[in-house]
Amino acid sequence: MDDFNRIIFIMSSTIRMSVPLILVTLSATLQVRSGIMDLGCEGMMIAGAVFGVLGSYLSGSAWVGVLFAVVFGALFSLVHVFLHVTYKVNPTISGMSVNLLASAIAPLLVMLVWGRQTLSDKVPAFNKIDIAAVEKIPMIGKILNEQTIFFYLSLILAFLMWLVLFRTTIGLRLRMVGENPKAANTIGINVVKYKYIGTLLGGALAGLGGAALSIGQLDMFIEGMTAGRGYIAIVINAFGRFHPLGAVVGSLFFGFFDSLQMVFQGVLIPSQILMMMPYFFTLLVVSFGLSRSSSPAGLSKHHDM
Amino acid sequence: MIHWKESSYKQLLREGSNKIKVPFIAFLLALVCGAVTIIISGYSPVEAYRAIIVGSLTTTRGFVLSLAQATPIMFTGLAFGIAYRVRLINLGSEGQLYIGAMVSALIGAHVSFLPGFSHVLVAMIAGAVAGGLVGLLISWLKIAFGAHEVITSLMLNELIILFTSYLSIGPAKAENSPISQTDMILDSARLVKMVPRSQLTVALLVVIAIAVILQLLLSKTALGYEMKAVGNNLLAAKVGGIHVKKVYHFTFFVSGAMAGLAGSSFVLGVFGRFIDHFSNGIGFAGISVAALAGYSPVGVLFSAFVIGILKAGALTLQRTTPVPIEFVSVVQAFIVVFVAAPKMVNSIISSPRELGKIIKRKVVSRG
Repeated sequence: MDDFNRIIFIMSSTIRMSVPLILVTLSATLQVRSGIMDLGCEGMMIAGAVFGVLGSYLSGSAWVGVLFAVVFGALFSLVHVFLHVTYKVNPTISGMSVNLLASAIAPLLVMLVWGRQTLSDKVPAFNKIDIAAVEKIPMIGKILNEQTIFFYLSLILAFLMWLVLFRTTIGLRLRMVGENPKAANTIGINVVKYKYIGTLLGGALAGLGGAALSIGQLDMFIEGMTAGRGYIAIVINAFGRFHPLGAVVGSLFFGFFDSLQMVFQGVLIPSQILMMMPYFFTLLVVSFGLSRSSSPAGLSKHHDM
Repeated sequence: MIHWKESSYKQLLREGSNKIKVPFIAFLLALVCGAVTIIISGYSPVEAYRAIIVGSLTTTRGFVLSLAQATPIMFTGLAFGIAYRVRLINLGSEGQLYIGAMVSALIGAHVSFLPGFSHVLVAMIAGAVAGGLVGLLISWLKIAFGAHEVITSLMLNELIILFTSYLSIGPAKAENSPISQTDMILDSARLVKMVPRSQLTVALLVVIAIAVILQLLLSKTALGYEMKAVGNNLLAAKVGGIHVKKVYHFTFFVSGAMAGLAGSSFVLGVFGRFIDHFSNGIGFAGISVAALAGYSPVGVLFSAFVIGILKAGALTLQRTTPVPIEFVSVVQAFIVVFVAAPKMVNSIISSPRELGKIIKRKVVSRG
């Protein structure tokens, strides 16, 4: 591989690696903005990954897989918001319950449906999209034609989330619930409703992120395939200052180191050391760079009606 | 939600007996949900539960195995529980466990001048200190820079797991080993086995002693009083002149040290070396164990034993029945869901109709 091709490879795999991260970080952003701690992302993502494969397997269409992923991502997020908002459970515990539940149910499902441990059968998945119009453009054409539908979906969703959160009344109300639930309640906003909406939509997004892994990057479910991306999303979310566009930039940053590690294959620098870089950098930024009041002030706060 | 509000006076009356009753009923509900899962999967729940009980409680071997499986979770349960009493969330157990394991493995394999019993002691204490220092780093970042401990502890998990993985693949890798693992520890660094040819070591006695000490610390000492005060009402504690920083540092050090000991007990008692990615979520399992015990140190011993029974029973389940072993961790997850929400269980107790509603919801969410 010459240098030019290597750069193109790094750029296209950066995007490919960061797409699931973008989606699950958007999920985290939406949850935190509505005042819900985003600890259940890992579980919702696992649910999306495994049920996405199941939907695709049962119907033979990857689109039904996406539908399954979104619906089951939301259903698992329901456990989180139900325990945390309705029964005032500490959000760490309710979030971890979702993670435990999903990571227990996924292998059980694989066992029941495909009759073996660890991985599912191959199912219909999304192919890379070849766009004839961009093929002619040097570099960009090559990079874009390596991507699946999830790449475009994640960009559209990030833009939509920015639009809704910062340019509409609904978004303003949702952010107010996240910042100060008591004040929001005083002016007649249904705090519980908005928290449910924020978390359920967030769960749907995380489920989509799981599908981006299992039927976007691959065509099967492998146990442990999310590899802690739900936790990484929490970190990227703080790094991107709880902003949808920050989620995109932060995910690309983490994806970049992922793809560097693939290029070097541990030849120049051990891949683990390379993979440590984004965490190290984020640790510095989160500790020394951000102002103290950056997360929504009403995070995990209840109001009593 | 409105329901338990209305019956709040009943709740007050119940509060005393509820401390035991609610977790117990939560546990039963989790077993019922687990049974429903098995029925949906097309197997017999009676057969499954019997296999678990038979495999873990009726034979000495099974009982010993349950205790051995429970020991590391006892440590990580203490790690989460003690921090939670001060309303600190230590999600970094997984990383602290790995660094503790690595430090113990290196000292166990490469330090040969320590006489007799002191070798294993030093290896273990060093593992605890390594975990504790990571805990201190989290509390320092929290106090000095306002960085939230959830985010920093998750980040440190990834950093440490990658770093120990690098060590076990690179500089500290055992020669001629096909997989990434460190050198075997010396015999003088091995924890004494309590039962020959089992995984049960004196680490169990260590964790029991520590749990009792932590319980006494919380209930009998001034420091324990300060910890509880900070946990119950941070503002009042500050106004009352409690040195909050000191309490945070101490708590996070102890919490990290517990997780480090969990790693040490694996290396010095079970594997005899550090194996890359060996833990598979033991650190996170501590959260559920601590919640199940109501964050009481001594309670953690018992709740971890319950999980140990499930884990040991799972092996029998796999050997003697067609029920998939994966189902055991589903039951475990249900236990956490129900035990974590005492108010939910309360409302279930006070209204059977609510129970039907919730079970329906659970079934739907599982598909």
